[in-house]
Amino acid sequence: MRSVWVLAIVFLLLAGLGPVLAPYDPTAINIPKRLSPPNSEFLLGTDAMGRDILSRLLHGARWSLGLAFLISVISLVIGTTIGLVAALGGKRADWMVMRTTDTFLAFPELVAAIVIAGLMGAGTWSLIFALSVTGWMRYARVARGIGLSVQSRGYVVQARLAALPAWSLARWHYLPFLIPSLTVVWTGMFARAILGISALGFLGFGVQPPNPEWGSMLLDARVHLRSTPLQMLWPGLAVVLCVLAINLTGDALRDALAERDHPK
Amino acid sequence: MIKAVCGLLLRAFVVLSGATILTFALLWNAPGDPAQAIAMARFDALLTDEVVDQVRQEVGLDRSFWQAFWAWLGPLLTLDLGFSAVTGRPVWPDLAAAISYTFPLAFSSLAVGLAVSVPLALLATKRPGGWMDRLAVAAASLGNAIPAYWLGLILILLFSVKLAWLPALGASTPAHAILPALTLGLGVAASLTRIIRSGILEARGQPFLPAFRRRGIVEKSIGRDHVAPHAAIPVVTVLGLELAFLLEGLVLVEVIFGRPGLGTFLVQAILARDFAHVQAVVVLTALVFVAVNLAIDLTYRIVDPRIGESDA
Repeated sequence: MRSVWVLAIVFLLLAGLGPVLAPYDPTAINIPKRLSPPNSEFLLGTDAMGRDILSRLLHGARWSLGLAFLISVISLVIGTTIGLVAALGGKRADWMVMRTTDTFLAFPELVAAIVIAGLMGAGTWSLIFALSVTGWMRYARVARGIGLSVQSRGYVVQARLAALPAWSLARWHYLPFLIPSLTVVWTGMFARAILGISALGFLGFGVQPPNPEWGSMLLDARVHLRSTPLQMLWPGLAVVLCVLAINLTGDALRDALAERDHPK
Repeated sequence: MIKAVCGLLLRAFVVLSGATILTFALLWNAPGDPAQAIAMARFDALLTDEVVDQVRQEVGLDRSFWQAFWAWLGPLLTLDLGFSAVTGRPVWPDLAAAISYTFPLAFSSLAVGLAVSVPLALLATKRPGGWMDRLAVAAASLGNAIPAYWLGLILILLFSVKLAWLPALGASTPAHAILPALTLGLGVAASLTRIIRSGILEARGQPFLPAFRRRGIVEKSIGRDHVAPHAAIPVVTVLGLELAFLLEGLVLVEVIFGRPGLGTFLVQAILARDFAHVQAVVVLTALVFVAVNLAIDLTYRIVDPRIGESDA
């Protein structure tokens, strides 16, 4: 399991240090050297505009991982707040809030994100908005579920009787219980966000060129599938490795939590 | 039971109404002037404000939100999706044509997914923790991380470009469906394998199985009559998620393989700002999604009567 953590840390380092490690400017156009295969000058070759693919990949890590982090944290905050409102607000509020959540869940997340990002006009902000608005529902469900299970515990009843205001009840009595499970959900959503960002990028609705983002790099590479097939391999591989590392970290975390709650 | 079913139906109704309003609100509030876009699409030239205003009136974009909503909803209830303001044709025939390409693909992908995942899960659970098991889990984790559009490109590269066995683009022959179905199906298989595997393992741990064995019931019948139904419960619950995965994947896979299905239809409609088309696809998706989830909730209760009625 340690290897997974190492992998995850390596990716975070790459995202942080990518721009320093990149040998070239990721947007520098070099037409004479366009579509060159991997060689000693350009380790992974160049794309259709002669831009260095390795540099674009390294800079792209910042776009893909950074945006995915931002999006998953925004939806974490929205979802948790909504879930806690449902858990603390009484039966009627609960019903209303959860039916709203169900309504948002009535659309497949990525399809909704494609429609929203597409209609808002391609760009980084609409990407962030589209993926956050379609990504908060799982957090809300988990937060509400655990919130309701905490409700009948002695000290919560006590706190309620002492007329503790709802927000401090939420902050001190509910939130600490939510954090472990929400972290597990968060790792899953972080991975999903990476996939979502690159999917939107691939459709042309996400991060716009010349910014290096893995999905839009794939879109560029697709046209040259016949002449330089290797070009399409790298961005996809980067997405797969990141998602795999995050998912495995999430699995390990979930197992560790299960172990703690139900020791064998 | 009846009360629970009514509750579920009410929920589905509320959710579907909400989804319709949400869809309409989304398109109504989309930035940019739709009248301008429609005029551009129709006349293909720079236009004066007068013409744009005329289009606006004609399409009904000068009304208030609720007026326009009811005007759209009324016909929708009789399954009349109206006219596309961009193409000038009724929406339904074009949509039906797109569905006729998407439906077979969705089903064959699901078939591929089941054909791969069920045997794989059965093999994996023969000896939990054995090398087969670990291999299956590793393959499933890897499969979950591979985006459909990348897998699609790799399959095209392998089978169309290098080996030239299968056609890649278009949808003219059934052979054109093989690569897309494989792309989507393998993704479905990856997530199903994990779920079926853990379903079987959990069912194996049920305390009544040793009792059956002691009574001398043959292992085959225990597997078929007791382990399989138990393992099916978690599978049924995630079918909704599987459907979402399928719909999301369909959009991407159709775009990659240039199939004129629902996904391509949606993306083109977004690019052309063809609101009638986008609305139709989104509402249809929500309808299918809500209906399937309702069906799942109902089957769930029939398969496992222990599930409480208070579960909200």
